[in-house]
Amino acid sequence: MRDWRWKDFGRGAGCALPVALGFAPCGLVLGAWCVQKGFSTLGVPLFCGANFAGGSEFAVVAMWTWPPNVLLAVMVTLLVNSRHLLMGAVLGRFMEGLPARKAMPALFLMCDETWVLSLADAAAKDAGDRPRGWSFAHYLGTGLTLWCGWVASTLSGALAGPLLGDMRVWGLDMAFPAIILYLVKGMWRGLVPSLPWLASLAAAVAACRLLPRGWYVPCGALAGIACALLLPCEGGPDGGPDGRAAKEQAKDSATPGEGA
Amino acid sequence: MPDLSGLTPAFLLTVACMALATYLTRIAGWLVLRGRSIGPRLRRVLDASPGCVLLSVIAPSFASPDMTELAPLAVAALAATRLGFLGTVLAGVLAAAFIRQVLPLLMG
Repeated sequence: MRDWRWKDFGRGAGCALPVALGFAPCGLVLGAWCVQKGFSTLGVPLFCGANFAGGSEFAVVAMWTWPPNVLLAVMVTLLVNSRHLLMGAVLGRFMEGLPARKAMPALFLMCDETWVLSLADAAAKDAGDRPRGWSFAHYLGTGLTLWCGWVASTLSGALAGPLLGDMRVWGLDMAFPAIILYLVKGMWRGLVPSLPWLASLAAAVAACRLLPRGWYVPCGALAGIACALLLPCEGGPDGGPDGRAAKEQAKDSATPGEGA
Repeated sequence: MPDLSGLTPAFLLTVACMALATYLTRIAGWLVLRGRSIGPRLRRVLDASPGCVLLSVIAPSFASPDMTELAPLAVAALAATRLGFLGTVLAGVLAAAFIRQVLPLLMG
């Protein structure tokens, strides 16, 4: 399993390509948005390539000020990307035996789509509980393709951005909340697990009206987390990240162009 | 020659710190949580927090008293439950363009 197979690499790249094309419009909007916020053209691929997590990039760009507020940007990034903790824990089981000098750099490429596509491939090859079917080459093929697609689409957006002029006149500013709503819908797991979202939104809207600008994101995030902590636990011990659940989720959501 | 004026030290510092923060979230799960079970409470917080932050980020649109902001937002929210990525974005943008450009003409 550990030997490198170019065939697997190519297969990974092939299944990531439609996904990369699917979120190219997202990258275009983000790139154009960055330029409108005063990013230099070269700054956009730098920002998106180094971070490589679209949700946090949208969140940070929405609150962007000059000079940038580093602390707020880092806090928001950590919160939006906290889901990587669970994903990394699950993927870690599949990477067992992979030396750290390979696993550590490879984890840079772990985003929602890499994770889903990689685990779906492992699940397709291996019906048992043991994660034998996971392929490092397939994972790298997927991750590198998605990374290139993301950098290329955000750079294209940055180049096209100045041509768009005032985004508000033709409603282009509405693309941003629409993308966020679409991303959040992709995370929907039923009403009760989503109650923290409503708490966040309510607190953030109240903060927008009552507090100085810039406080609404921390207020909303804290209200949501408090709500998640207070919700009653459903019965039964939670197994934590387990390979089978991940595989089921991977099967469910491994449709090209979905999620980002 | 591309415009490089935005590449200030503060910008580069922000990019570097964000990239480091994101990378930490990627390796921390592998380093620390690998092989351990996660309690239901922590799991729920981790599951909920991305949506919490993303919705908080767009709260200014929801807080706006302006109907030309709220109406297209409602259209986009409805579209997100039914349509895919492009459909949702197009619905929001077209609704905003309609209410801001076309409606004033129709109303005279």
